[in-house]
Amino acid sequence: MLGAYLPIIVLVTIAILFGLGSLIFSSLIGPKKPSEVKLAPYECGCEPVGSARERFSIKFYIIAMLFILFDIEAVFLYPWAVVFKKFIAAGLGPFILAEMGVFIVILFVGYIYVWKKGALEWE
Amino acid sequence: MAMNYPILTILIFLPLAGALALVPFWRRERWAKGIAMGCAVVELALAGRLLFAAAGLPAASGAPGGYFLWEDHVWIERFGIRYTLGMDGISLLMVALTAFITLLAMLVSWRGIRERVPLHYLMLLVMESGIMGVFLAQDLFLFYLFWEVMLIPMFFLIGIWGHGRRIYSAVKFFIYTMAGSLLMLLAIIGIYLIHGARGGNYTFALHDLIGTPLDPGTALWLFAAFLFAFAIKVPVFPLHTWLPDAHTDAPTAGSVILAGLLLKTGAYGLIRFGYPLFPTAAKAVTPLLLTLAVIGIVYGSWVAYAQEDMKRLVAYSSVGHMGFVALGIAVWSPVALSGAVLQMVNHGITTGALFALVGMLDERTDTREISAYGGLWGKVPLLAFFFLLFSMASAGLPGLNNFVGEFLILAGAFRVTPVAVVIAFVGIVLPLIYTVRLVQQLLFVEERRPLTLPDLSLREGAILAVLALTAVYLGVHPAPLLGLLKVSVALLTGGLP
Amino acid sequence: METLVMPAINFAAIMPETILSIVAMVLLLLNVFVPGEQKAYLAYLSLIGIVVAFFSVVSGWNAPLPMQEGFNGSVLQDNFSLFFKAIFLISAGLAVLISDHYMVKEECNYGELYPLILFATAGMMLMASGTDLMTIFLGLEVLSVSLYVLAGYNRSNIKSNEAGLKYFLLGAFSTGFLLYGMALTYGATGTTKIAKIASAAALDATLSSNPMFVVGMLLMAVGFSFKIAAAPFHMWTPDVYEGAPTPMTAFMSAGPKAAGFAAFIRVLMVAMPTLKADWSDLLWILAVLTMTVGNIIALSQNNIKRMLAYSSIAHAGYALVGFTAGNGEGTAGILFYMLSYAFMNIGAFAIIILVGKKGEPNNNVEDYAGFGVKHPVLAMIMALFLFSLAGMPPTAGFVGKFYLFSAALKSGYVWLVVIGVLNSAASCYYYLRVMVYMYMKDPVEEFDWMKLSPAIWASIAISAVGVIVPGIVPSIILQLAQKAILL
Repeated sequence: MLGAYLPIIVLVTIAILFGLGSLIFSSLIGPKKPSEVKLAPYECGCEPVGSARERFSIKFYIIAMLFILFDIEAVFLYPWAVVFKKFIAAGLGPFILAEMGVFIVILFVGYIYVWKKGALEWE
Repeated sequence: MAMNYPILTILIFLPLAGALALVPFWRRERWAKGIAMGCAVVELALAGRLLFAAAGLPAASGAPGGYFLWEDHVWIERFGIRYTLGMDGISLLMVALTAFITLLAMLVSWRGIRERVPLHYLMLLVMESGIMGVFLAQDLFLFYLFWEVMLIPMFFLIGIWGHGRRIYSAVKFFIYTMAGSLLMLLAIIGIYLIHGARGGNYTFALHDLIGTPLDPGTALWLFAAFLFAFAIKVPVFPLHTWLPDAHTDAPTAGSVILAGLLLKTGAYGLIRFGYPLFPTAAKAVTPLLLTLAVIGIVYGSWVAYAQEDMKRLVAYSSVGHMGFVALGIAVWSPVALSGAVLQMVNHGITTGALFALVGMLDERTDTREISAYGGLWGKVPLLAFFFLLFSMASAGLPGLNNFVGEFLILAGAFRVTPVAVVIAFVGIVLPLIYTVRLVQQLLFVEERRPLTLPDLSLREGAILAVLALTAVYLGVHPAPLLGLLKVSVALLTGGLP
Repeated sequence: METLVMPAINFAAIMPETILSIVAMVLLLLNVFVPGEQKAYLAYLSLIGIVVAFFSVVSGWNAPLPMQEGFNGSVLQDNFSLFFKAIFLISAGLAVLISDHYMVKEECNYGELYPLILFATAGMMLMASGTDLMTIFLGLEVLSVSLYVLAGYNRSNIKSNEAGLKYFLLGAFSTGFLLYGMALTYGATGTTKIAKIASAAALDATLSSNPMFVVGMLLMAVGFSFKIAAAPFHMWTPDVYEGAPTPMTAFMSAGPKAAGFAAFIRVLMVAMPTLKADWSDLLWILAVLTMTVGNIIALSQNNIKRMLAYSSIAHAGYALVGFTAGNGEGTAGILFYMLSYAFMNIGAFAIIILVGKKGEPNNNVEDYAGFGVKHPVLAMIMALFLFSLAGMPPTAGFVGKFYLFSAALKSGYVWLVVIGVLNSAASCYYYLRVMVYMYMKDPVEEFDWMKLSPAIWASIAISAVGVIVPGIVPSIILQLAQKAILL
């Protein structure tokens, strides 16, 4: 039974090894010229030091939310793609395709709404 | 005389239709008054016609004994609720009284009401509808509906056109009666369910429910709920506290209707619903009710004596007079019950007239303090004459109407509870004392400050004259009314010794 | 490769939901593509959608069982859910009718309102017809998310913001309870299908004493109690009702409350009849608390929206009385009552909208002084709604209360009904207070009168008819309600 999980274990092991390896090797091989900026903890475009209660621009939230919303569709699309062949075999191909079409159309309506509302514009 | 049109329905819904017809005349007072008065006159004509024809009417088909008019239709089938109206002698007298007093109320407020006149008449008409319905409904659900409907216009009458602490009084009146009637609703549902569970016949029809076997405990609770609702309205002694407030602060028309009609609905409810539905429980409660009635008689008169405000005095005298009615009902013998019904009619007329008179004085001088008046006998002889007449009637002077009812009640009660009667006799003497004081202070004492007031106008004179004639007629010749009551009262009291 | 069996889908079972969703999406697009400040056309279009959905509801009435079931037993469009769907559609329709006027006045006429109302309604419908805990949850979320936005819709008004945020936080909190309860129920029975939960409980007698199952029921009851605003889970109601835009308050108090009852009833009565002894005790307590807390606190409210919020809590309590009865009469009573309540409450709110000035500085009871003199007809209709709320005959509110109380008496809950009746009498006071101001006090200031739109007149007229007619001739609706109970 556990044999079924072997590929996953292999994958996880390789991922860990690769990550650790990259860190170790780059610290061993890479040149070290420290500067103040380089030593600061990395943050995406923000001042690393200051009040934690600083407000973010609402734009970040909107982008993050939209990302999640439209990213989730992938979660639904993948299993659908995996079983699609079985449905074709059962003669339900067109129906299940249409179902997915409906789903995509609903998402698309949302997308158009977001787009026309200007939520995708940064400025 | 065959009634080939639904006269009972017309009696109930004509005023309501009139009220709706008033809405477009929101800004035209004359029209509104005219329409309202027209409705009231037609009502009185219908009631009068019935009053004169009733003796010759055969028993209605499909109706229980004693009813000569009967209308019965399915209304809400789901619950076994029917639209059942019926008229027997008691109902007829009450209906006639209602038509009469409503017209009187409209007439006395003809000049006194100056604000929002159409609304005032609208409320009076809705009120008339509700009271007619209460006196005619023979289905408990229908009865409850009218019982509640009658509450709303009185709330507005007191609250909008009243004096003094009108809002307080209006709200007190409403909540008081609402609490009572909701408990009654519970009891109504209770007996409905018990009756239905027994035979599978879920119905609110009064005459089907009469005779439902109940175990004594349940019956007592259910009867207590009914009694509570009705005793508040009558009012029976400890539940009377809303009455002086409501009366004092109500406009004249409101007081007239309140005293003349609303109090009667409570007594009527006991006679028509409370006692017949729960005869054994009622019998068990009789000593309590007797005691409370006698206390009410004495207490009402006693407190009336101490009043400085005429309206409050009349209001407390009502507590005393209605105590007699309660006594008559508690005794539940043919004589006493006839007396009670008669007393209801008589009290409606005399107290209505007294409130009208107080209203007239108030309109002229803007005060109801007894001590502000004096020497009216010389100044306004007509008004003074009527005042004297109705005060004496109210005090139970033989030859005038109130005497007959009180006499019958006491005569009937004497056989059952001599003690109560002896105490109640005090209640006959006390009114004499406060009435004499009132009359003396108002009419005969030298005037304390100069008042200039005109005597009765033609309208006022006519109102009072008609009332006076009725009072005298009923005082000397009550036999026709008693004749009307005979069958119904006999049938009602047959169940109880 | 195993063969796949086509699940029984049956789109007819979710027809009204589908219609509303499609219309909502079309409106969403129209709103962004059609420029302009005038959004009234959206209101009329959404009304068309609501009417079409209503026809679909009507045509589904008494359909044969195969037509009712859908999605492998996750959805059941039976008469019970259809009756509720009609209530939702009516409250949505009335809310749409009163919205444009208000949104223009408050200058928050953004246009998303109508799609959101429709989505919320679709969610409610799914709650009513869901026969799988997951479907119910899905409907609840669709409803709730839309409502959070609607409560905070007037974004320039700080109170509306507060309402939205508060509703969101407490709503999310309560959803947690609900979901936890569902999870425990699933754990105890191994299924989320309501019918299967019932049969599992019927087969296995030990399940009724299984703590996991009982706690699952309790937690779900807590979650639903939040939704129907039953005490002691009512804390969000006053702030949200007061802060939300008035049409949305009206909508929230009528539709979603009914939806909460629909799901609540189905879960307890169908899935957990074996726990009836437990949940009827629970409901008894909830009902008493809800009525009493709602009424007593309402007595001291000055803001009329807040007062009606507490009154709406009390009304949930009356409905719980019928629920406690646990019989068909009680359910039918709730159906009737929720319908009447939609009419009388939205009607009252419509008049509050008319009286309110921009920013609602004058929503206090005192601000109604002299209303009866200045606007006699409107005041009379307001009085009608208030009397109906107070349960005076001959209004729908009275018949509904009568039905609920008699159902509870029939099941022998005498004291519960006595408490209900006393509450009812106490409640008269605060309704009367509004009438006292309307009729018995002199006007303090002028009523700021906007031109009455035909839409708002229509909503008031419909509500008035919906209060009067079932009050006088209730037979038809009573029969419909009787056919809509779960057995």
